[in-house]
Amino acid sequence: MHISWEYPPWVVGGLSQELKSILPELAKKVRTILVVRGDRDEVAEIDGMRLFKSASSIKCSPHILAYIHALNVDLVRGASTAIHEEGEVPVVHTHDWVSCLAGVYLKTCFGAPLVTSVYTTELTRSKALDSLLNMGIFDIERHCFRKSDLVVVKSHEMQVHLIEDFGLDKEKIAYARNADDLISAYRRLQG
Amino acid sequence: MTVLSFTDGTSEEHERMDGVDVVRVNPYVMRYPDFISWIEGLNMLMVERGASLGSFDLIHVHDWLTAYSGIALKHIWRRPLVATIHATELGRRKVLTNNSERHVHEMEWWLTYEAWKVICCSRYMMNEVHSNFWCPTDKISVIYNGYDPKMVKTRSAGQTRKDGKTVLFVGRLVYEKGPHLLIEAASLLKERDLRVIIVGEGAMRPYLEGLARKLDVSKKVTFMGRVNDETLLSIYEEASVLVIPSLYEPFGIVALEAMSLGVPVIVSNTGGLDEIVRDEHEGLKFQTGSSEALAKAIARILDDEGLRKRLIGNARIRAKEFAWETTTDQTFDVYRKVLEEYNSNNWKPKAD
Repeated sequence: MHISWEYPPWVVGGLSQELKSILPELAKKVRTILVVRGDRDEVAEIDGMRLFKSASSIKCSPHILAYIHALNVDLVRGASTAIHEEGEVPVVHTHDWVSCLAGVYLKTCFGAPLVTSVYTTELTRSKALDSLLNMGIFDIERHCFRKSDLVVVKSHEMQVHLIEDFGLDKEKIAYARNADDLISAYRRLQG
Repeated sequence: MTVLSFTDGTSEEHERMDGVDVVRVNPYVMRYPDFISWIEGLNMLMVERGASLGSFDLIHVHDWLTAYSGIALKHIWRRPLVATIHATELGRRKVLTNNSERHVHEMEWWLTYEAWKVICCSRYMMNEVHSNFWCPTDKISVIYNGYDPKMVKTRSAGQTRKDGKTVLFVGRLVYEKGPHLLIEAASLLKERDLRVIIVGEGAMRPYLEGLARKLDVSKKVTFMGRVNDETLLSIYEEASVLVIPSLYEPFGIVALEAMSLGVPVIVSNTGGLDEIVRDEHEGLKFQTGSSEALAKAIARILDDEGLRKRLIGNARIRAKEFAWETTTDQTFDVYRKVLEEYNSNNWKPKAD
């Protein structure tokens, strides 16, 4: 099960294109469910995946941190529907902190191993933690990354960053640039 | 019964109290830019902690403050959610002026939408929840709050020390409680030998102290701050009348306390107060927001001993209708009804 706050045609930034390049390939090899924020609640098929769209229940938030907390409750709605209707999933895979909260909920409540792909962090985006908002996002990232069973990166620099600034074990970090790499990472997780 | 709540590190993370397991999470493991994200962090940790507590038949949350975790656990566990709405953002503020207030308002809407049943503490609140969130009234149960009769029983045996001139206010010093109206009323009664005691703390205290000076009644007004129960009982014994001048009051437990203790009450004609007190019967009511009407009611009740005695007698009887046991029984009735409907429904966890 992949959980993301964006996937084409629901585009916020580059993450949607990143997932568009990998997830259809992954779906050809393993059964894949995608939970994504959408314009309305809907169950459908997309690029060979079972799609569970969750609409944002609320529209107004004072900042991105408040919005993401509420959004992840909506993502949990979609993911829970998927699990109760389609059966348990062997792995939950979230992407950056914006959907990782939902992954932590599903891991703690359903026991599903949690994989988190990290593309950017608050430190790489903002360069410095110079406001309580930056610090709050960093603390959420640290909490979620530490709760993840495996953290997936695409570069050596990100691996070093996660070890040095988030205190992650090197063994918990895997490289993955395509669908085959992801499947290897999942197998590694399942022993 | 398990209560999931909050600790700042000064209370146990798990203890059993009065037959209830109380489990607390500490949100101070992270940093937050504001109150909303602090609440969200608390809820995040509540979901994580809740997962380790086993399974439950029903989830009951209170206000938007725990809506996030309640909604998440409802869908994860596929168990029914009951929500009590004690107050609303729109009710407190009258207008939503920024995205923080709108966020809280929308969370309240979301909670009433997701809840199987909504509990309100007065018909006033039922109407507020219905009109603010378009929540159907047949989804709302009105269950009144109660008061603790132990407080009355533990009242000291000493004689009352009422001097016929002491006016009491008990409550948070915030705008919605209307403490400024009492100070304004005191200034309108400046010629009388009047003593105003204000019990409670809040952000409005410096303003209220300044207002009392400006209106030249600071010698008549005493700010007691927060007091313990024993001191409060002692103050009640001195009070000739309790004033509740709230601009917004979903229920008003303090009215019941005073009524049970034999202190006549003057309340604004709004919220739950309007339902607890019948005008001229268990107390006097005045037009909400009018310090002139409040001043007239204070003068009248202090000057008319017959009126005072009649109100006190009726109020003692009326207060007995509001017991926490009744609140508990009615809440369990709601649980039973919700579970009956849930059990005859197909919305269940996969394992069932």
